[in-house]
Amino acid sequence: MKREERKLTTKQTKKFSFGEYWDRYSTITILALMVAVFGVLRPTSFLTGGNLVKVMEQSSITILLGLGEFFAILLGGIDLSVSSIMALSGALTAQLMVNMGLHPVVAVLLGIVVFGTLIGMVNGLLVTATGLPPFIITLGTQAILRSLVYIVTDARAVSGLPAAFSKTVGGKLGGIVPVPIVVALITAIILTFFTAKSQSGRNLYALGGNSQSAWYAGIAVKKHTILAFAISGLCASLAGMVNIARLAAAEPNAGTGYETYAIEAVIIGGASFFGGIGKIPKVVIGGLIIGVINNGLNMVGVSSYYQQLAMGCLLILAVTLDRFFGASRKNG
Amino acid sequence: MKPIIEMRNITKYFPGAIALNNIQFDVRPGEVHVLLGENGAGKSTLMKVLSGAYTPDEGVIAIDGHGEYPKLSPHLSAECGISIIYQELSVVNWLNIRENIFMGHLQTKKAGPLTLVDTARMNAETADLLQRVNLGHRQPTTEVGALSISEKQMVEIAKAIAFNARVIVMDEPTSSLTEDEVQRLFTIIRQLKAQGKGIVFISHKLSEIAEIGDRITILKDGGYVGTYDVQDLTTDDMVRLMVGREIKGTYQHPAAEHYQFGDVLFECNHLTRRDGKAKDISFALRRGEILGFSGLVGAGRSEAMCAIYGAAPKAEGELLMEGKPLHIKSPYDALQQGIGLVTENRRETGFFPNFSNRRNIAIAYQLKKSSFGGLGGITNDAKEKELAERQRDELQIKCTSIEQLTAQLSGGNQQKVILGKWMAAGVKLLIFDEPTKGIDVGTKSEIYKLMRSLADNGIGVIVVSSEMPELLGLCDRIAVMAGGRITAMYDIGEATEEKLAKAATGETA
Repeated sequence: MKREERKLTTKQTKKFSFGEYWDRYSTITILALMVAVFGVLRPTSFLTGGNLVKVMEQSSITILLGLGEFFAILLGGIDLSVSSIMALSGALTAQLMVNMGLHPVVAVLLGIVVFGTLIGMVNGLLVTATGLPPFIITLGTQAILRSLVYIVTDARAVSGLPAAFSKTVGGKLGGIVPVPIVVALITAIILTFFTAKSQSGRNLYALGGNSQSAWYAGIAVKKHTILAFAISGLCASLAGMVNIARLAAAEPNAGTGYETYAIEAVIIGGASFFGGIGKIPKVVIGGLIIGVINNGLNMVGVSSYYQQLAMGCLLILAVTLDRFFGASRKNG
Repeated sequence: MKPIIEMRNITKYFPGAIALNNIQFDVRPGEVHVLLGENGAGKSTLMKVLSGAYTPDEGVIAIDGHGEYPKLSPHLSAECGISIIYQELSVVNWLNIRENIFMGHLQTKKAGPLTLVDTARMNAETADLLQRVNLGHRQPTTEVGALSISEKQMVEIAKAIAFNARVIVMDEPTSSLTEDEVQRLFTIIRQLKAQGKGIVFISHKLSEIAEIGDRITILKDGGYVGTYDVQDLTTDDMVRLMVGREIKGTYQHPAAEHYQFGDVLFECNHLTRRDGKAKDISFALRRGEILGFSGLVGAGRSEAMCAIYGAAPKAEGELLMEGKPLHIKSPYDALQQGIGLVTENRRETGFFPNFSNRRNIAIAYQLKKSSFGGLGGITNDAKEKELAERQRDELQIKCTSIEQLTAQLSGGNQQKVILGKWMAAGVKLLIFDEPTKGIDVGTKSEIYKLMRSLADNGIGVIVVSSEMPELLGLCDRIAVMAGGRITAMYDIGEATEEKLAKAATGETA
């Protein structure tokens, strides 16, 4: 009799499982809660169309960096150099336009392909060739690339970007939607397709889940590692383009410390730090959460000193909930 | 004689399932009590109750006939002298033997106001312990990473007796040992018995149970089947009680000696690894035939298979499939040319823990179809679903759905998922490395049947195994390796355990 009762209760709790709900909707729930709280506190200033578009625009750089960072974390690694790649690609592209008079389209293409993707590939090559943890390699390249920014810019801002460039990339599509949002969203859509549907995407998940099994299954481990870091570099350079367009100048200090935001966006977005688990749309939401916190706290009048504190608490809370309730983390 | 520990009416619920249902289990001093059951029968759960890791929902645990506890804490369990040696050994490889044994129990001495670590005393005690487990030739300061698996096990046993363990639980202690090492382990177990220790012995190898066990408790699907004297049961009885059905013993062609095999499917000529771990390996595999590889651990069997599969450092030699030369430099090449490898360690090299059964089954098929060396191509969910459902039905993979994580399945079903992966990819030759390691008897027999049906369907099957009865019951021909070379090749009609064992030491009969 007693045994049957127990069986019943376990069945009843199966109907609604917080673990399963949290596993699926954690990120969007956090975002909705944030928007709701700030919306109630500041209904007239925070919850307006104009402000929400502004939040999204401010988040676009974090989102772009996070989209790239996602691939490094998917492999169980990390890319600390995204902030430096963002600054270097921005500075070099600005110089190509300002000092060498290159057409903005050519300059941007060079910025993305050479200063973003290629540098990312170098990260990947160094990781596969040395066998060292990506943390160490990218900590090194972060410093090296930041130094290169100072060298090529002489530590001065590069200003006077062609209006055609800053008005387009920093402007609004149809006068309504800021282009940075469009760039971030299109990138996210392409990468969502890439991770969910392409064979390489699937291979990256496999590699992040178990690199030994991946090798034995016939997956080209080195090529895919290089690919992951190349995508990271590519996304970082897109952030670099957006950044110089919004400021109409390339600052040598641009993006310092932004790798932290990128990592936070990925982790709050529910990706596993041990690799193999995560989804691109959740990274976008993760980036938006960071944007909402910063914007919302400003609106409520909380000193900016407290913003990092809020971010830190949220990060630990979100991952703790994942740790204890995330259904997919429980094995056996 | 009073049992050291007695577990009465133990019941444990897991969400949605009963893991243990009214189990009786006791351990008397000086006996080897075998715990037998298929994977998922509840052996590990019961041992976790004993170690204090799990709290039973019902039942009591009595120690030395008195003191009835509703549960044990890890602390209390240790205090009662219960010591568990897990299948995945818990020694720390980069520490030496002494440090491993005294971890958490450092011996100290007073030197004036200071308390210092007494290395000399611990070294002496360690040397004494090593003598008792027949490891006298090892120094207390030897790094544990340099020891063989069997020696590491002995270090764990030494650690258990160092702190007066009265009940030592050994979870599949023989799964990675050679015949010789198993005998050495049994010698130690008999010594421990003589000293009045109670041994709980968990194993799937029935012949060993008959050899070393005194009493046996059989579990089935979380339920208690019974406790018997080992001498009263035949191995067939054990299987019947554990599985609830009779299991056929051999999977060869009827009268394999006279069976006409097809033409040569796969040929390996003078394969030599540059690192010397496999030398001058030559053999031919005919259609319809299962070829076994016997030998001691480290004889180069897995190493030779890795070289064929392209997973090893560079190797020279000629491989032919259906008479045409193969060019294999990586596992990807092997996959493209129709060769699959079921690796020895499922968890480490077999499947992806973050993937559903669907994805794990479809991965090889998709890689094979993809372009640019696996970098190009689009995945197809509908096709994956079709492949996975077909393999699930054909191989009878027990899972809640094809979307369930493979990591949540039992070992046997994980192995079936890996098998399904290769079948979905359409291989011509499938190499199995220790295919039934850690798999229960029921699933073992299913896997043997599947291997035989692969061979019957014209797929080449090669099996590397350290279990001679397995090879003798399954293969049509058996090659024996020693020191990286093939030392003998027997048709099944002439192969015996004695001949295989002899050839494995490097002597040819």
